[in-house]
Amino acid sequence: MTTTAPLLAARGVSKAFFGNPVLRDVSISLQPGRVHALLGENGAGKSTLINLLSGALRPDGGIIEVDGRAVARMTPALARQAGIAVVQQELSLTASLSIAENIGLGAYPRRFGLVDYQELAARAKAACELVGLNEKLSTPVGQLSLGRRQMVEIAKALYRKPRVLILDEPTSSLSATETRILTDLLERLRSEGTAILYISHRLNEVMALCLHVTVLKDGTCTADRALEGTDASGLVRLMVGRDPGDLFPRWQAPPSPANAISVRGLSAGLMHGVDLDIRTGEVLGIGGLVGQGQEDLLLGLYGAIPARTTSAAVNGAAGLPAGVPKANALGLAYVPADRKREGLHLIHPILTNMMLPAFARLPALKLRSRKAERERGKGLAAQLGIKGDLGRPAQALSGGNQQKVALAKWMPHDPLVLLLNDPTRGVDVETKREIYLMLRGFAAAGKAVVLLSSDTPELVHLCDRVAVVREGRIVTTLERGALSEEAIVSAAMGAEKQKVAA
Amino acid sequence: MTASNDSVGGGRARAILSSRPFMTLAIVAVVWIGASFVSRGFGAYGHLRYLVELGAVIGLVATGQTFVVIAGGIDLSVAAIVTVSAISLPLLSWQMDPTGLASVLAVLALTTAIGVVNGLGVALLRVHPMIMTLAMATFLQGLLIIIAGGSAVTAENPLVHWLGNARPIGIPAGILLWVAVSAIVLTVMHATPFGARIFAMGANPLAASLSGVPVKSTTLAVYGISGFTAGLAGVLVLGMNGQGYVGIGDPYLLASIAAVVLGGTSILGGLGTYAGTIPGAVLLVTITALITVVNASPGWRSILFGSLILGLLLLSGREQARR
Repeated sequence: MTTTAPLLAARGVSKAFFGNPVLRDVSISLQPGRVHALLGENGAGKSTLINLLSGALRPDGGIIEVDGRAVARMTPALARQAGIAVVQQELSLTASLSIAENIGLGAYPRRFGLVDYQELAARAKAACELVGLNEKLSTPVGQLSLGRRQMVEIAKALYRKPRVLILDEPTSSLSATETRILTDLLERLRSEGTAILYISHRLNEVMALCLHVTVLKDGTCTADRALEGTDASGLVRLMVGRDPGDLFPRWQAPPSPANAISVRGLSAGLMHGVDLDIRTGEVLGIGGLVGQGQEDLLLGLYGAIPARTTSAAVNGAAGLPAGVPKANALGLAYVPADRKREGLHLIHPILTNMMLPAFARLPALKLRSRKAERERGKGLAAQLGIKGDLGRPAQALSGGNQQKVALAKWMPHDPLVLLLNDPTRGVDVETKREIYLMLRGFAAAGKAVVLLSSDTPELVHLCDRVAVVREGRIVTTLERGALSEEAIVSAAMGAEKQKVAA
Repeated sequence: MTASNDSVGGGRARAILSSRPFMTLAIVAVVWIGASFVSRGFGAYGHLRYLVELGAVIGLVATGQTFVVIAGGIDLSVAAIVTVSAISLPLLSWQMDPTGLASVLAVLALTTAIGVVNGLGVALLRVHPMIMTLAMATFLQGLLIIIAGGSAVTAENPLVHWLGNARPIGIPAGILLWVAVSAIVLTVMHATPFGARIFAMGANPLAASLSGVPVKSTTLAVYGISGFTAGLAGVLVLGMNGQGYVGIGDPYLLASIAAVVLGGTSILGGLGTYAGTIPGAVLLVTITALITVVNASPGWRSILFGSLILGLLLLSGREQARR
């Protein structure tokens, strides 16, 4: 395997930010025709390593090699020339530009000094076909769902015909079908000799796709080996540094449930004609392909978008809440999927973020007590395991900790119904496990938890029931006994006719 | 929000010393000391007191502006509202109102209502704040020309006269009014849930609304406050001037926004404090006074004023990049 020179390699690189070492003496080499997995918890240094490889950052020590030759000063421009393309986890698309313009951005074909839109369209179309994007090329990216945007991001990398393709959590917002398309594509690129670096928190994908794995833990390399002969729990051990145990808490039958929310004939956004009962003491999963209207279902129940019903009861009150403050008063809380855009105030201190729902509900001109706020914040941080100074802005936190803050801010209100929109997306294994435990804990305490998720194993192992959404309708509701990944995926894709829910 | 969550005194003192409001205050002090060496009368107590009294008008207009800017908007109608206040008040002299309090309250109610209409346009009709308030300003200016024409109107209101001229305990009433308003504003901004909602709305309106912040009513309140404080500034300017005329409020549009930004409040919303706007307002009148000392023609004065504001903003008012 080492007969050919690696297309791209790092040898003993180190990097520190403000004196904090983030990477220490890490080596990685990307061979042509190999899918290489990079694993590690949030904050282990994966993104920093990618930034070093792509020239976005300069290493403090060590060297970057391209085609076996050391590059003195790697820059993004040099990386592009060398055929290195990165699909970032944070989407870097411009919402108001079209799909084609986004794909070609920075490398538009020119003709007489002007953008050659015909050529651009032809080349963008070719890239889109590779990833199965069949939307019109002139569609503004802002109109696409998160999953489709992710595909545009991948097409953008392919447009540049990369020799080295680095994907940072490409499947975190993709549906099962899209993931399969991506997997097939990577398989093909690999056979054509592309070197691929694949970062994912989903171990089954890694096991299926990758040949070689590098594991980072706290900035050092804990494994650099062939994947053959390891199993998922072995990988987790390498990442976490201890035995993983079971990711999901043991399932217990919910105590005699009552309806927390009951709606008939709900129409909101993409959803129409939905009948749904949400029971106390259970975790209700919402599954389906990405962008089928699941989010509108949650937002409609939460009063954040206009919704119509034929009849509805929410925690004993008739009708759906007319707005978010009303929903909060009825005991509903919502944790959005996009924590940076919808969940948090990144420039504000962590503490202020945690207190916001309280500020929204307290009498407007009541005097605040900073001391009481600090105490409460400390309590919440301890309860959810959020580390560090609460006076720092929320943007200083890693993704997993940001998600915890987005959850923590509702805790003081003891919500009766928790509406969660993909709470574990882009969150490391350890935080995932903590969140799962918390959700089961809420259910055990008699609350209703609604879990919208793009992660099918999560739905299978954590939920009491799963409602599968396709084209704006709930096509089936699977009870615990009938839950399996196959059942959810086939219902989501409409492969199976209505299965009767018990 | 300044770094008020720091633990110990040393850290807090450093945080205050390196904060934007303090920097603006330091600039004011340096300019005052420098100017009093160059020009004899500049550093006299009476002159400095006069500067602060002038600063009070800008400071009051900038009160509402600070709220609006922190909430993520901008109010371009403040100048027109100042004029509305200064012109409509003399027209409202009632026989059964010997103190003049009733007419002042009536005018403040009117200007607050104008602000609320701005808020309605922004919150309910989703008109961009710039367009909404600029359209409002244009509308009001037209109305004023029809009502008042080109002539100045003289105020015969005892309360207004007192505000503009009295000096209880040796300090001009206008300054006392500004101090009182500042105390209330700083409390509301930094020590009440209402204040926290405004910062949240400015930093991320979507996240604020999903967290249960009543965004619409808060927007109405914020523009209402801006209308109220611009109205109050109009009353004070009328008292100091004795007469109201079309265009009396014009200098206060740029001045109010400049005071807010010089004080370190982010024009993008979500970050800032009125504690910075206060020295910002004083800095602006100081610059105006310096230009007057230079004894240039009106055209050159305006050019100097504009360039100095730009220069100061380059020095201290630039936004840090946001992720």
